[in-house]
Amino acid sequence: MALADLLAQDAVMPALKANSKKQLLQEIAERAAKVTELPEREIFDVILQRERLGSTGVGNGIAIPHGKLSSLDTIVGVFARLENPVDFESLDDMPVDLVFLLLAPEGAGADHLKALSRIARVLRDADVVEKLRASTSASAIYTILAGSPSSNAA
Amino acid sequence: MPLETLYLAILVGTLLVLMAAFSSLLAFRFGTPLLLLFLCIGLVAGTDGFGVQFDNGQLAYFVGSLALAVILFDSGFGTSLHAFRQAAAPAITMATLGVLLTAGIFGLMACVVFDLQLIQGLLLGSIVASTDAAAVFFLLRIGGIAVRDRVRSTLEVESGSNDPMAIFLTIALVQIATGTDGSSLPGIDILRLFGMQMGLGVAIGLPGGMLIVWLVNKLDMERGLTPIFVVTLALLVFSATGALGGSGFLAVYIAGLYAGNRSIRAKTAIRRFQEGMTWLAQIVMFLVLGLLATPSQFPAIALPAIALALFLVLVARPVAVWLCLSPFRYTKRERLFISWVGLRGAVSILLAILPVIGGVEGGMLFFNTAFIIVLVSLLLQGWTISPMAKRLSLVVPPRIGPVQRVEVELPGSANHELVAYRVVKDSPVLTGERIPRWARPSLVVRNGRSMRYQYAGRLQENDHVYLFISPNFPRLLDRLFASPAPVEKDDTEFFGAFTVDPKRTLGELDEAYGPGIVPANSRETTLAEYLERRFGGRAEYADRLRLGPLEIIVRDVDDRGEITSLGVSLEPEPLARPLPDFINRKTARSALDRLARRRRNRRKAEDRQAAE
Repeated sequence: MALADLLAQDAVMPALKANSKKQLLQEIAERAAKVTELPEREIFDVILQRERLGSTGVGNGIAIPHGKLSSLDTIVGVFARLENPVDFESLDDMPVDLVFLLLAPEGAGADHLKALSRIARVLRDADVVEKLRASTSASAIYTILAGSPSSNAA
Repeated sequence: MPLETLYLAILVGTLLVLMAAFSSLLAFRFGTPLLLLFLCIGLVAGTDGFGVQFDNGQLAYFVGSLALAVILFDSGFGTSLHAFRQAAAPAITMATLGVLLTAGIFGLMACVVFDLQLIQGLLLGSIVASTDAAAVFFLLRIGGIAVRDRVRSTLEVESGSNDPMAIFLTIALVQIATGTDGSSLPGIDILRLFGMQMGLGVAIGLPGGMLIVWLVNKLDMERGLTPIFVVTLALLVFSATGALGGSGFLAVYIAGLYAGNRSIRAKTAIRRFQEGMTWLAQIVMFLVLGLLATPSQFPAIALPAIALALFLVLVARPVAVWLCLSPFRYTKRERLFISWVGLRGAVSILLAILPVIGGVEGGMLFFNTAFIIVLVSLLLQGWTISPMAKRLSLVVPPRIGPVQRVEVELPGSANHELVAYRVVKDSPVLTGERIPRWARPSLVVRNGRSMRYQYAGRLQENDHVYLFISPNFPRLLDRLFASPAPVEKDDTEFFGAFTVDPKRTLGELDEAYGPGIVPANSRETTLAEYLERRFGGRAEYADRLRLGPLEIIVRDVDDRGEITSLGVSLEPEPLARPLPDFINRKTARSALDRLARRRRNRRKAEDRQAAE
């Protein structure tokens, strides 16, 4: 599954400003609401619920919040690059400045997990991460994410 | 013995031991199985090499048994009760049933290959049926192969406790083979003998261990004498049990296990002394066995012996491991690894002397075949254990970075210990973690000046801190003073991309990744409780459990054994590895990198030493 399939260019926030984890999640839920045309509250609640199970900060300044929504019909992603890193309760205590939100339909099952691990793998690539941090426009970020090779990123 | 001969004998003996000691440097550099080198030195010096004449099987057996007793006592002494309990059931199944199975399967094959009688085939089987404690311990501990605790404990306990079984089988079969017509010892007698050997072994070993602890703590003996006292007492337990008709090897292992897990005076000194004794025992044992062999006899049986060795490594051992471990929770890869770490060693060669001195027909055939099998096993398995662990993705990332710690034993007290740590860069104590209350920091040495802890202010890099602690939880302190564990890319794969809180319930996990991935009756159970239950009461660092499409991995456990951090892997099937590892460019490069890094580190360490 290529990231281009689940990320649209208008779902990229190239220079988000947030002061806290909560604010960050709110902002990103708001954008997700626009993309999916679903209520922001519902999205925010579902990702917050997942955060309660354990932080989705995967270390290295990267977070991949995710959740399932019954009212959704495809897998949808939102990407944000932060102006200033915020604390995300990550395992390595590093503040987070790159966030990939992934929302999946209730029945997506295996596809949901596949998409998640795909994202995790792409964001484990030091080159990709470095380029993302250096980009300031939505189109540049979109090109990096959508264009990152689909097999040898592991 | 004339005086000149005496000096000559000592000269040759010391030269051999020295060579063996030097060869250890070689082994560390190239990763050669060290024990193989010892054996080869014996071979080269022996009859067909430089011509040292030694053909006294009785003496070799005597020396070997003594050395083995020392080694077994030490391996018991070094096995923590925790590890023992953790692996007792599977390991003891392998040490008893597994030895029988290996001996049986191998024995049948040996009958076919060498055209032997059934009894003789089984005799050969039981000679090579036990794995070698020395070899396994050496490779796992000193070789620095970090595998999951449970796997490692299983291997260590198995290798430490399966010798008595193999020894018993061999002795019984030698008796049958030399009996009037091969059937003079009916089954019932063998069972009685078995009960007597093992029963007495336990019945004397345990009180023996208690006696050792009690005597050492009671008698205020000269410090330098204590370790010798302990080893002598261990040999007393060994010989007394043997003289009464029990298994001295089992007794001495159990005594060691007991003594090593009690608070005993001068433990550090005892441990150090035993470490040295074990080295010496191994060197002497392998040298003597190497000397005893006559390599010129090998070519005649080399091909069938090598074929048998391969059969043992590739068929007999794996089948036995598979059957013994099937009731226990091990993954396929772990079973494969446990099968592979079935190293044969000195015990097999030692036992192969028995048919010779027992007068079994064609005794030398047993000796030479066992010798070749051990050589093949050490070469093939000993050399490939580390790559094998990596190939099977069983290597566990280090939990904490390196620690620089020195323990100082305090006279007169078993409840306090003085430890000194060097404060290293980026360690938690430097980044503001508190030293727990039960540790009393007393002294700080900074730039060669010593000062009281209270006046030293904040700790700085390269400070040496001296703390009085009760020796119950040193692990926690280690973590405070350790440099951060290097996190490598693979670790994320090992521990899964995401973390989950062990205090959350299975139901919540199901909400996030389900539905229907957790058992319906456990939805209210917390992840920690569930894992502990599934792992038989206690989960260990790096344990992993499949849950539908997910895998839950234990990332950390605290000192009381409670899970503090869990990872979730979304792709439980590890990424397919391109097959021949050594052809893969990426692996080759990382191996080169690692080599370069190791050399750099070594140089740094040398510089540091020189500076101090």
